[in-house]
Amino acid sequence: MSDQHKIGAYLCSGCGIGEAIDMEALSTVATSEMKAAGCKVHEALCSEAGVKLIADDIASGETTKPMIAACSHRVMTDKFQFDGVNVVRANLREQVVWCHTANDEDTQMLASDQVRMGLSQTMNSNAPVAAPQQSHSETVLVVGGGFVGLTAAIEASKTGHKAILVERSDRLGGMTAHWSKVMPERPPYRDLADNPVPSLIAAVEADADITVMTDTLVTKTSGSPGMFEVELTKAGTASIETIGGIVIATGWRPYDATKLGHLGYGASPDVVTGVELEDMLGNGAVKRKSDGGAPKTVAFVLCAGSRDTAHLPYCSSVCCGASIKHAIQLVDADPDVMAYIIFDELRTPGTAEEFYRVAQEKGVIFVKGKVESVGSDLTVTYHDELLGDDIPMSGLDMVVLATGMVPNSTNVDAPTQSIDDLQEVYVKSDINPVAPFAVAGYAEGTEAPEPIVRAEEALPEGGSILNLQYRQGPHIPILADGFSDSHYICFPYETRRSGIYTAGPVRRPMDFGEAALDATGATLKVIQSIRTVSDGASVHPRVGDLSLPKFGLDICTKCKRCTVECPFGAIDENAEDFPVVNQSRCRRCGTCMGACPVRTISFDNYSVNMINEMAAAVEIPDEFDEKPRVLILACENDAYPALDMAGINRHTYSSMVRVIPVRCLGSVSLLNVSESLSKGYDGVILMGCKSGDDYQCHFVKGSGLATERMGKISETLSSMMLEPERVTTMDVSIADSAKVGKLIDDFMANIDDIGPNPFKGF
Amino acid sequence: MAEQKYDLGFARYVRDNIDGGDKLSMCMQCGVCSGSCPIGTEMDHGPRKLFMMIRAGMKEAVLKSNTMFNCVSCYNCVVRCPRSVPVKYILHDLGRLAITEGYADRKEVENSRFADAFWWSVTKFGKTDERLVTAKYYFSGGIGEGIKKGMGNMRIALGMIKTKRMHLGMPHKTKKQKNLKAILAKATEIQDRTSGAGER
Repeated sequence: MSDQHKIGAYLCSGCGIGEAIDMEALSTVATSEMKAAGCKVHEALCSEAGVKLIADDIASGETTKPMIAACSHRVMTDKFQFDGVNVVRANLREQVVWCHTANDEDTQMLASDQVRMGLSQTMNSNAPVAAPQQSHSETVLVVGGGFVGLTAAIEASKTGHKAILVERSDRLGGMTAHWSKVMPERPPYRDLADNPVPSLIAAVEADADITVMTDTLVTKTSGSPGMFEVELTKAGTASIETIGGIVIATGWRPYDATKLGHLGYGASPDVVTGVELEDMLGNGAVKRKSDGGAPKTVAFVLCAGSRDTAHLPYCSSVCCGASIKHAIQLVDADPDVMAYIIFDELRTPGTAEEFYRVAQEKGVIFVKGKVESVGSDLTVTYHDELLGDDIPMSGLDMVVLATGMVPNSTNVDAPTQSIDDLQEVYVKSDINPVAPFAVAGYAEGTEAPEPIVRAEEALPEGGSILNLQYRQGPHIPILADGFSDSHYICFPYETRRSGIYTAGPVRRPMDFGEAALDATGATLKVIQSIRTVSDGASVHPRVGDLSLPKFGLDICTKCKRCTVECPFGAIDENAEDFPVVNQSRCRRCGTCMGACPVRTISFDNYSVNMINEMAAAVEIPDEFDEKPRVLILACENDAYPALDMAGINRHTYSSMVRVIPVRCLGSVSLLNVSESLSKGYDGVILMGCKSGDDYQCHFVKGSGLATERMGKISETLSSMMLEPERVTTMDVSIADSAKVGKLIDDFMANIDDIGPNPFKGF
Repeated sequence: MAEQKYDLGFARYVRDNIDGGDKLSMCMQCGVCSGSCPIGTEMDHGPRKLFMMIRAGMKEAVLKSNTMFNCVSCYNCVVRCPRSVPVKYILHDLGRLAITEGYADRKEVENSRFADAFWWSVTKFGKTDERLVTAKYYFSGGIGEGIKKGMGNMRIALGMIKTKRMHLGMPHKTKKQKNLKAILAKATEIQDRTSGAGER
């Protein structure tokens, strides 16, 4: 142990810890075995006296690095915070005394190992030093001048920020500028509301802090949050602006109705889309295109091309409400109008239920059925589910197709970009195949597996909205169905490019009320991001984290895996092809750390080595003790809290497991797994979030990458003469606290069947 | 099901012309009416389905069904409808429509024949005389049918006479027959004034 550091162990005996385990024995482990400079036991470390005990030791120099063995590191964080000091926590409460038998030999061994791991973590980590940005811009760039963009610009201005509002067309207002009425958003939720867009345009134009640029495209975006350099091009003239953060509000377009021939579009001029009807309503009276007559009997076909795998597979959620609104508008204008709404499943969430009732009161007829065809004579044939029969409706004057919303994730008017055109900035699959020698957990002499080569992702149709000058391409990453990729449950506005937030229908279909909330939320996220990154700290989900990945360039092989696998496009290369992290784009997940085959990427307080040392600190009983040991690398975002909650709910599970929290499964190196097995662990569980299209990973790609990497582990295991079943990955969500114990116990039963690890004792 | 005829205008006609038809659009197809109906099993279609058929324009199938004529006016549906649809009134007026448009024969509809007998007794005596109403209803379908129905219920009738539940002799009447006539004349006048589409 180095001289300048004095590690102090602080053991809490409160919350039942002292009654369940022998604290004196723990102290001995800390001081005699792990050589901590001091060890103090207190009956409530989180009390004022307890915190003072630690603070005084830090102030007097008796302790420079405290290791607090008490409750989970997820609680009492504000109490155990000491400026500039790296605080390590060992979990004796939730994951020891609350879920294992009190005063039991195995529980005592677990507690001792928790202390060992905590002290080992302390020895192998340091407090990160803040690296604030030299300068930053407070200006918010809003891309898209529709309802959402206008709202976002006003919100930014109200918060004291300057905003630049960029619109590609020649006017503000977007799709909905001239719509006549909108669905009600205020109690009693019965009357149509006036279109808010015209007044928003007036407010934006009158606001001195908002610069409006119409006929303008974003032609280049470089830099990183707090300091984006954005090139705006208007009529061939480019200007450069320095921007703190970006709201993308490029909105939506209706689904292309010409693809809906089976619903009569194109066959008859009197089959129109909801948006076309909206235009007619905005221009005054609704007239048939064929003869200019006023329609008296109108059918609305809901889900026109929506929830249909041949067209839009998703529900646009607003077409039901919009059609109800249209029907009310027609009946209000002429009470003699008979309006039929043919729905498969009518979605009127929240207050829209009341709106639906209004339409019924006004005589609008709702019919449950699936429309099968619309003929050129406007005969609508639908399967009526309540009558169980196909019903033809003839004698209609107009058929309105409620088409869904398609996100404007790209500029569809601009040509699709080719990867080759962008080669100077785009990383493609150019991973250097020269893999390093016997590092990264591969047995000496075995050839390291080829780097993972993925199919080249085709760039989406249309031009890029921001034209990012990032190594991972010009686009904001898109998930299924063309919507912007983000963790839609926990971080709705986030994109996979830090400091850039999407709002409104570009991220999911929504109505005016939701879009207003979205615009406000995304703007506040931009402002929060500007604040955080200017302090040198991370944005979500590790908000405030000051640590940064450090690259040991002396052994870097320039393989570019870190650049390619970073979920957030944070890494570039310098002129010599060495990786360079863009600090404020980085979210500190450690995916690069898990990716690096030579494990030369580390954080001050988190590294491959630290995890290995923690695992190695655990005492492994020999095979005759019949006490197997299984290492759990648990993602801090969901799996670790689920384990904590299992403890809170007093669910018991095997006390043979040792849990190390990791930032994300993406940060786990293969080496962590192979090293633990070579140290005598009988098995390893990687516990993290669900991956795939419906992923739950807080860092988007981390758990997916871990699964992919672990797919390669069997080769390594067989080279070590070990059974591949000793390693598994488990999807554990934060709601799984009741079943996580069973998952562990089932795995332990498998390990018992396989038998002890032959490496024990070596 | 035989070849259906559809008339999209039927829902509009019901909305504009049938007593309570303007409330038909409020129906949300919950089925409380059909579930509450004590005679539901005797109907071709329950009220819920009948309303769906109106929306689908199945005019012929609606007006040929026995639903309206089997309604016993218990008002369970009206009381229970969560959307305040006056189910019974709509059915009643649909029955009238079925007869006037020739989809149903008044003489064939038992319910209608019973109503005629009931109405006869009330207007004639100001009271219902069960014995005469029953007899009039039994014989409304012809002599043969009247005898058959009467014989079928002979034991019940004798039992009622024995226990003095059915009186023999002259029918009871209200005291002032003149006033009864005046009331009926006034009612007819009101009905004529509102041309049949009376208030609920």
